[in-house]
Amino acid sequence: MARCCCCCCCCRRFLHEPDTLFQKVVVLVKAHDRAVLDSYEFFATMAAKELGIAMGKVFEPPKDIERLTLLKSVHIYKKHRVQYEMRTHYRCIELLHITGSTAQVYLEYIQRNLPEGVAMEVTKTSMEKIPDHILEPMWKDHPIDDKSSK
Amino acid sequence: MRRGEKNMASLCGKTFLSLGRTNVSGLAFSKTTNRVTYATALSVNSPSGNKGFPERGGRGSVGRRPRREPGEPRTEKMPPDQDWTSVYPAATPFRSNAVPLPVRMGYPVKGGVPPEKKGNLELIKIPNFMHLTPAAIKKHCEALKPFCTEWPSALDTDAKCDEHFPIKIESTDYVSAGPSVRNPSARVVHLKVKLSHLNLDDHARKKMLKLVGERYCKDSDILTITTDSCPLRKQNYEYAMYLLTVLYHESWKIEAWEAEKTAADMEEYSWEDSPSQKNILDTLLRMKVAGEGEGEDAEVRKQLLERGEVQDYKDSVVRLKNEGASETTVLQYKEAVRKVLNV
Repeated sequence: MARCCCCCCCCRRFLHEPDTLFQKVVVLVKAHDRAVLDSYEFFATMAAKELGIAMGKVFEPPKDIERLTLLKSVHIYKKHRVQYEMRTHYRCIELLHITGSTAQVYLEYIQRNLPEGVAMEVTKTSMEKIPDHILEPMWKDHPIDDKSSK
Repeated sequence: MRRGEKNMASLCGKTFLSLGRTNVSGLAFSKTTNRVTYATALSVNSPSGNKGFPERGGRGSVGRRPRREPGEPRTEKMPPDQDWTSVYPAATPFRSNAVPLPVRMGYPVKGGVPPEKKGNLELIKIPNFMHLTPAAIKKHCEALKPFCTEWPSALDTDAKCDEHFPIKIESTDYVSAGPSVRNPSARVVHLKVKLSHLNLDDHARKKMLKLVGERYCKDSDILTITTDSCPLRKQNYEYAMYLLTVLYHESWKIEAWEAEKTAADMEEYSWEDSPSQKNILDTLLRMKVAGEGEGEDAEVRKQLLERGEVQDYKDSVVRLKNEGASETTVLQYKEAVRKVLNV
């Protein structure tokens, strides 16, 4: 099964660019089985503790059940149906104040050990300084000469 | 002797030679009479040694390699203080002869217990975490530590982070099994910034709010720019930064037509030069004139404005117009009117 993560850039140049700073990294795991998520949560929290990553909340959002009702027979017999349901259980792990390198290491470790049939969504909130060109309005140095052209 | 009687006479599995199937231990005897499958010419007592189990099929068995005994399971030879990380170094399916735990899984037989681990498909199907025991996790983390960097200690609170790094970029990555690794939702970028951290004066701030419209949240003073029009995340991020730059510079620009701003365009209600001020001054003047009869309109108006009740009235009207009509605002207006009109 093709299960590589589509996020990590493999060619990060450690020496040249400064490390990004993530204020929050939220890892949401989805599976059909609650026991698998329990074990995975234990693994992820222990890994974060060993690597020294500050953890926020670790909680379980309520599960989603998608139900469908289909005809039981191939032809006619409309009154006899069969019902199926798909249960999706969630687990949410929040990591606070984590640098780009640590995040990359931790997420790659977590994702390589993701069990079969479990999906993951990672939401990263990175912090940045205000870029230089937004510090001062440019009209002080470059006053508008021809207003009709703008 | 009939086959059924032969089977009923013995309970041992080795003598079920006449049957084509081997997994008949525990079946009711009445069923065996219907299971007349392959007849063989072999004797009842199987030859000792190689063939511990009866043959399958029976016919095409010439030249078949003799089957080996499985031997004792590995769990018997495992010492209690072994290195478990070498037994399960990577993610592998469950092997009942390599896990020394008496695990049972599955729906129990009526009045019985769940089936044992030997040959149990349920244990093989479910993902196991045998390769991620605490000892293994510690080992992995020790090896990963050199690649981690520390968080700068000066940025321990959220307030300090906001002060030095006010722009927040949010993006989501998706990991799932499927025919494709890509997820089109991964290109969405949210840029959040507090307007108080940007260098804006009064006019620039009002113009920015008008330009931005719904993307600004008044309660938290956060401007959110969401971009998803480009196919790549990098492109969307650069587009969001470009939008922020353009908004900033455009809001500082003062166009010629901005001088035509009317009272209807104002964001907040201002009391000076409003019909409400004129009305209250006219009313008070008429009350005064009826009472005393003075001249000099402009001076009298200024004096009236400076009175405390008129200031209260002004505050209540401004509050009513800006915040809307709620219980407190209407009560405040009522009190102010009472005081001004001496009712």
